[in-house]
Amino acid sequence: MHFLAQPPRFLFFTGKGGVGKTSIACATAVQLAAQGRRVLLVSTDPASNVGQVFGERIGNRITAIPAVPNLSALEIDPQAAAQAYRDRIVGPVRGVLPDPVVRGIEEQLSGACTTEIAAFDEFTALLIDSTLTTDYEHIIFDTAPTGHTIRLLQLPGAWTGFLEAGKGDASCLGPLAGLEKQRTQYKEAVEGLADPLRTRLVLVARAQRAALQRTHEELAAIGLSQQYFVINGVFPAGEAEQDALAAAIHRREQAALTAVPEALKALPRDRIALKPFNLVGLDALRGLLVETASPGCADAVEPATLDAPDLSTLVDQIAADGHGLVMVMGKGGVGKTTLAAAVAVKLADQGLPVHLTTSDPAAHLAETLEGSLANLTISRIDPHEETARYRQHVLDTKGAQLDAEGRALLEEDLRSPCTEEIAVFQAFSRIIREAGKKFVVMDTAPTGHTLLLLDATGAYHREIARQMGGTGLHYTTPMMQLQDPKQTKVLIVTLAETTPVLEAANLQSDLRRAGIEPWAWVVNSSVAAAHPRSPLLRQRAHNELQELDAVATRHAQRFAVVPLLTEEPVGVERLRDLASRKAP
Amino acid sequence: MRNIQVFDPALCCNTGVCGTQVDQNLVTFAADVDWASRNGARIERFNLSQQPLAFAENAIVKGLLERTGQTVLPVTLVDGQLALAGRYPARDDLARWAGIAAPAAPQSQTQAQGRCGGGSRCC
Repeated sequence: MHFLAQPPRFLFFTGKGGVGKTSIACATAVQLAAQGRRVLLVSTDPASNVGQVFGERIGNRITAIPAVPNLSALEIDPQAAAQAYRDRIVGPVRGVLPDPVVRGIEEQLSGACTTEIAAFDEFTALLIDSTLTTDYEHIIFDTAPTGHTIRLLQLPGAWTGFLEAGKGDASCLGPLAGLEKQRTQYKEAVEGLADPLRTRLVLVARAQRAALQRTHEELAAIGLSQQYFVINGVFPAGEAEQDALAAAIHRREQAALTAVPEALKALPRDRIALKPFNLVGLDALRGLLVETASPGCADAVEPATLDAPDLSTLVDQIAADGHGLVMVMGKGGVGKTTLAAAVAVKLADQGLPVHLTTSDPAAHLAETLEGSLANLTISRIDPHEETARYRQHVLDTKGAQLDAEGRALLEEDLRSPCTEEIAVFQAFSRIIREAGKKFVVMDTAPTGHTLLLLDATGAYHREIARQMGGTGLHYTTPMMQLQDPKQTKVLIVTLAETTPVLEAANLQSDLRRAGIEPWAWVVNSSVAAAHPRSPLLRQRAHNELQELDAVATRHAQRFAVVPLLTEEPVGVERLRDLASRKAP
Repeated sequence: MRNIQVFDPALCCNTGVCGTQVDQNLVTFAADVDWASRNGARIERFNLSQQPLAFAENAIVKGLLERTGQTVLPVTLVDGQLALAGRYPARDDLARWAGIAAPAAPQSQTQAQGRCGGGSRCC
């Protein structure tokens, strides 16, 4: 493994949820500790099973792991860190300022940036020389701060206002105001991150074309440090002979691997084969980074039995309303666009008027559907384009009168990630008003947090009222439209794996805060629903059952399972199949 | 030098670009504050979502919030006395309070537009 060779002091593993960052970080820690290095493992995985892996309760303090000499571990819960931060700010004014005011403040501090910055605050002490860390030769993190956080912390202008005077000038550094560390500490921490002699960043991805493309974009966004690239869970060639699905997965992955973007090709690269076993326990971890040819699982594994509804069952219920808004939501990479397209096709098949709106950057899927069904129209929201247009519009209009300094300030604020949320929201609100007459199916939607903020100020209402203009249409408030399950159905998409299910549950609670109850969950790319013969896939199918059960019994009001497919579901026919495939 | 304090509504950026509709008043005001500060004015801004304690500890601001709610914001105090509520000061106002000679263009447009609707704010 290249990424393990001559490791520097800090090792960060980054990548989308569910790609196996925590497992690889654990395995790395175990391996380095076995070489006699003193290692601290830091997990920020909200589904952290680090404690379970080592058979030790860990939590938010450095804990020695008796089973692994030289290894200590620490778990940081970003949500808890954000909550502690909110309490610090809001606690002193609770019961002092009026309740609605306090609630408003709390929502302001419930966004992703707050969580991110609060978690970074917890990190800081570990990145600088301190008594806390002198004992360790290596500190291994199963996460990394985003490029946005790093850039914010590097902006000299941003700092001058905030931490020196305690009053803000620049945008999203706002959340830093209530943090405890000193500016010099952050500065030192960021310098440590940017120093290739001290820090190595390991990007972890699956061998999927779209995922590799996105990894490439993330890499460009982070833009610092010495970077390595690990492709995890590669399907072994030997297994491909077992059945058609296994062969298709192997073929697809190999195609994705040959089409790795140029920028990624330049990086030192490792592959880790998909393992048949769950990565729990020391033996499993020791086996993860060992390059074995065979999965060693030749014994026939019993097929997993799964009795779950398919997507067309859900679509039939949606169709009964005759019109409405269908928002397909979920983390990147779970297949929102594909499922939104499948829902749209099935609704259109019933003769209903449907408008499918996708923000899929590839636009590939939308193109294959264009003009294929008479009552299906397709449009695209391009987040990059919308953001660029919005940014330019603001600078041209609102910034027109400003002097050079004022304009620089405005430009800096327009670089915040909120800008994209808002730009996309504007495109979104242009389209949802159609849902009174037909079906509008979208693969993108504002988060509950954004909706709450917009609603709290009444800005959302005003925005829609402005867009409705003098049309004289009767309408309830848009927030009411989104909260009414007769008018709006939210489908949450996830994969049958621990971290993606947890991320989906977080998304659901965010929506519930905004008074929006997700109507159904869709578990995509399920191996169990595909009834494989390959022992490796059967093992994975068994591993899925626990997550599917959690979705069915704990999270979802109603749900559907979509099997992992041998062919990419492109075109009307395959999308129909995807929705209708009965899971026996 | 008189002390100017501005109590902002809950917002994540002082230019308020996070709103659905960027508020021209907020953009202009951020630039005006920048201009006045460069000309020696002493201006402090407090953001409700980041420094709520400053609001709770000021009797005038707290009282306004209790009676009128958040729509009373922004509130401007000059030397601790209420100077303006419900909208941002214009560049002229800042110049007068701070004792800065005739302001350079551009002029703030807050007075013409009345209360700042703001967009919502994210983060």
